[in-house]
Amino acid sequence: MPPVNPELVEAFSAKAALVNTVMQELPTMAAALQYVVDVCEKKAPAELLADEPSAEKGPLGPNKVPTRVKRIVAAPGLSDEDFATLSAACEAKGFACLREGLRNHLAGIDVGFSCAEAGVAASGTCLMNTNDEDVRLAGMISETHIILLRKSTIYPDLPSIAQLLRERINAEPTTYTTLITGPSRTADIERVAAVGVHGPLELHIILLED
Amino acid sequence: MHEAPKNLSDYRKQIDEALQDDFLRRTLDTFAVAYRANREAVFKEVDEKKLIAKIADAKDDACKHMEELFQKYKAEAEKRGVIVHRAVDADEANQIILRIARENNVKRVVKSKSMTAEEIQLNPVLEADGIIVDETDLGEWIIQLRHEGPSHMVMPAIHLSRYQVADDFTKATGEKQDTDVQKLVKVARVQLRRKFIAADMGISGCNFAIAESGLVTTVTNEGNARMVTTLPRVHVAIAGLDKLVPSIEDALTALQVLPRNATAQRLTSYVSWIAGAGACASSPSGKKIMHVIFLDNGRTEIAKDPLFSQIFRCVRCGACANVCPVFRLVGGHKMGYIYIGAIGLILTYFFHGKDKAAVLCQNCVGCEACANVCAGGIDLPRLIREIRARVAEEQGDGYAALLGSVMKNRKMFHSLLKFAKYAQKPFTGGTQFQRHLPNIFLGKHGFKALPALASKSFRDRWAEIEPKVSNPTMRVAIFSGCAQDFIYPEQLEACVKILAARNVAVEFPMDQTCCGLPLEMMGQRKTAIDVAKQNVQAFPVGRYDAIITLCASCASHLKHTMIKILDGEPAILPQAKLFADKITDFSSFMHDKLGLKKEDFFPSSEKVTYHASCHLCRALDVKEAPRALIASAAEYVPCEEEEVCCGFGGSYSAKFPEISARMLENKLNHIRATGATRLVMDCPGCVMQLRGGAEKQGLDIKVQHLSELLADNLKP
Repeated sequence: MPPVNPELVEAFSAKAALVNTVMQELPTMAAALQYVVDVCEKKAPAELLADEPSAEKGPLGPNKVPTRVKRIVAAPGLSDEDFATLSAACEAKGFACLREGLRNHLAGIDVGFSCAEAGVAASGTCLMNTNDEDVRLAGMISETHIILLRKSTIYPDLPSIAQLLRERINAEPTTYTTLITGPSRTADIERVAAVGVHGPLELHIILLED
Repeated sequence: MHEAPKNLSDYRKQIDEALQDDFLRRTLDTFAVAYRANREAVFKEVDEKKLIAKIADAKDDACKHMEELFQKYKAEAEKRGVIVHRAVDADEANQIILRIARENNVKRVVKSKSMTAEEIQLNPVLEADGIIVDETDLGEWIIQLRHEGPSHMVMPAIHLSRYQVADDFTKATGEKQDTDVQKLVKVARVQLRRKFIAADMGISGCNFAIAESGLVTTVTNEGNARMVTTLPRVHVAIAGLDKLVPSIEDALTALQVLPRNATAQRLTSYVSWIAGAGACASSPSGKKIMHVIFLDNGRTEIAKDPLFSQIFRCVRCGACANVCPVFRLVGGHKMGYIYIGAIGLILTYFFHGKDKAAVLCQNCVGCEACANVCAGGIDLPRLIREIRARVAEEQGDGYAALLGSVMKNRKMFHSLLKFAKYAQKPFTGGTQFQRHLPNIFLGKHGFKALPALASKSFRDRWAEIEPKVSNPTMRVAIFSGCAQDFIYPEQLEACVKILAARNVAVEFPMDQTCCGLPLEMMGQRKTAIDVAKQNVQAFPVGRYDAIITLCASCASHLKHTMIKILDGEPAILPQAKLFADKITDFSSFMHDKLGLKKEDFFPSSEKVTYHASCHLCRALDVKEAPRALIASAAEYVPCEEEEVCCGFGGSYSAKFPEISARMLENKLNHIRATGATRLVMDCPGCVMQLRGGAEKQGLDIKVQHLSELLADNLKP
């Protein structure tokens, strides 16, 4: 592991915050998993943007569509051990915790949790391996997307991740790699900034001590 | 998509409509001002000029190797299970996509934004086959509901208000929708999620087609491209051949400029790098069915053009529209056919034909604001002038050609001007303005008082005023330009007075003529070359330390453009280069060469404001010298939007008087707000526009050339 560069960490946090990212520094994976559960508990229940016959439907949400009764946390990229921990914590709160099959819940889920491969300080960007469809969907159909980023993996700017990106792209016969900078946003109506047009309404980044 | 104007009067009618759209006016005004400030802020963190040069080099190189890159891309993408097509024109591209849709039994298509899909006008082709096509970029969806084309390459619905959008969404959903923007965005979230889920095929654009790994790279904020490329079982990406770049590094370089230029963001929310047809649970085979279609549509031919191949440096950021004072007034629907802004005027000519571009390409005031921000450093104003020259040559422009034949002959041109001086007498009442010109002649030009020709031109006064300087420290020549020679000789006299007082010998070669810029603006290339040769021959350059011109437009033309248009004239080119090297604008000479400082002037508390002429602050990049000189000679009061065009643009103000008048009005409002009693600038064209406007509006301010202020206050 390369040593943590505090200046890069600080720059990353500042730039990410500028694009509506909620920043959180945590010491351990256990704390990060607990944070995911806490965020899910505090948020309003996810709206069902489309019909999902098997879902139990609660009262209408702010956009006049039904809400989920049983909340969903999706964490498809986690190791078996971490997933087991998260799953147990979710179960205790009555949330579903999913690792796959997100296509069955395209109407929208509460929280998606994924791990970044690297960060870019100049823009507060996360480099994500999203080859797996479920990993990709966790960051697309969740209302709150939480990304875990290790402080030691923060690079200064886009040119400095070129080689890493190349290795990532060529790691498998087919790949799908994503750079994420803040939540889904638009300014297409009267140039008024709005978040959550298609993807997450909120993006949280947990900076993890190595 | 919208109708391209057929002729100038048809076009001016369209422009009138746009000018009366108060919402559009307000929106684009606010945007123009905010964009400039926001862009400047995000560029502070990177080396803008270096990045732009790097993009230009990389894209130029990619353009030279377009064929090799295509082959490399095809091989790499095919290795990864992608089917790569190449379409010679729009029709073939549409047919390929239609065939893919039929082969895969596609009923519903979702699209993320693609200007290339707009270029080929894909949607009607699919819809005619019974396929339902939904745009998923919010702005694109709005204009699709309205059956309109985009009015901006990045913000396609910037011309619409929340009220119009609410009405459209009410119709689309059958439910009354609130006009709150946040709520409207969520309506799209709900409606479009259902469309993503139901779609069989996703069609995306491609910001960078990276050959090394056969990559499709998409750049979005909303995340719709990720949905489009993930959920449906079929993915079709459309890219112009100009989107091919060799490496990931090329894309990363461009990504440092594209979002900054487009929306003043450091990076967009999502950049996706798709390498191959990956796993896809909605596909029967478990693998995505992925096609990439490269569109030629004339690109391989343009790539061979030594001048126009630079248009492929364009990354579709839209910055050329964002800073364009004409776009700001008329909006994108009146400033392009499908592609918008300065690059749109050029691309329309190449992709949609000269009949669509002939009128549109006239609508550039030549202020150079676009060239100053272009992500690929494309010389947009020059390319627009080149297209005018081609259009004029192909179609002929009777008036411009007549003028051209007069201008070719200096003596005839100058005699005509002298004749005009007598002819105007009944209309001037002896003032500096043409006061009594019947309205029928003024037409829509009534927004400013037109200047009268001087009773005696500078060239006719020269024998009387030529100063005798003994032991000169320097020797210079004056290039007068037509406006100062025949309309404002007093500006040149002020300069001569300063030069003589500072012991500089000055000459005025009599054989000089029009610099040629007005001819270029009208597309009269041949005559522009003729006058360029005459001017080069008129000046024995070896004699002079500098050739001073008080007209920033003449200066930028003589210094930068003239040698480009003389490229095919080897006999005179070396001499022309020496001539161009000696050309010095008034401000730079007085500030840098003569070193005029506060001590050289009588103290003055007069409040003087400044208009930064386009050709001085951008084409010549002279920004500090004139401001420092004003601050030395008086009290300098900065003006809002000081570097925005006054709307003159030479023959532009005659061709598009309505637009010119609005630009002038904006300028005068800012000038009025400074409370200054004198306004100076370094260009007689701007003096003509602003003095005429100030006179018409009864603004109590002296409008002069900077030389007059300096001469007034200079210590002997």
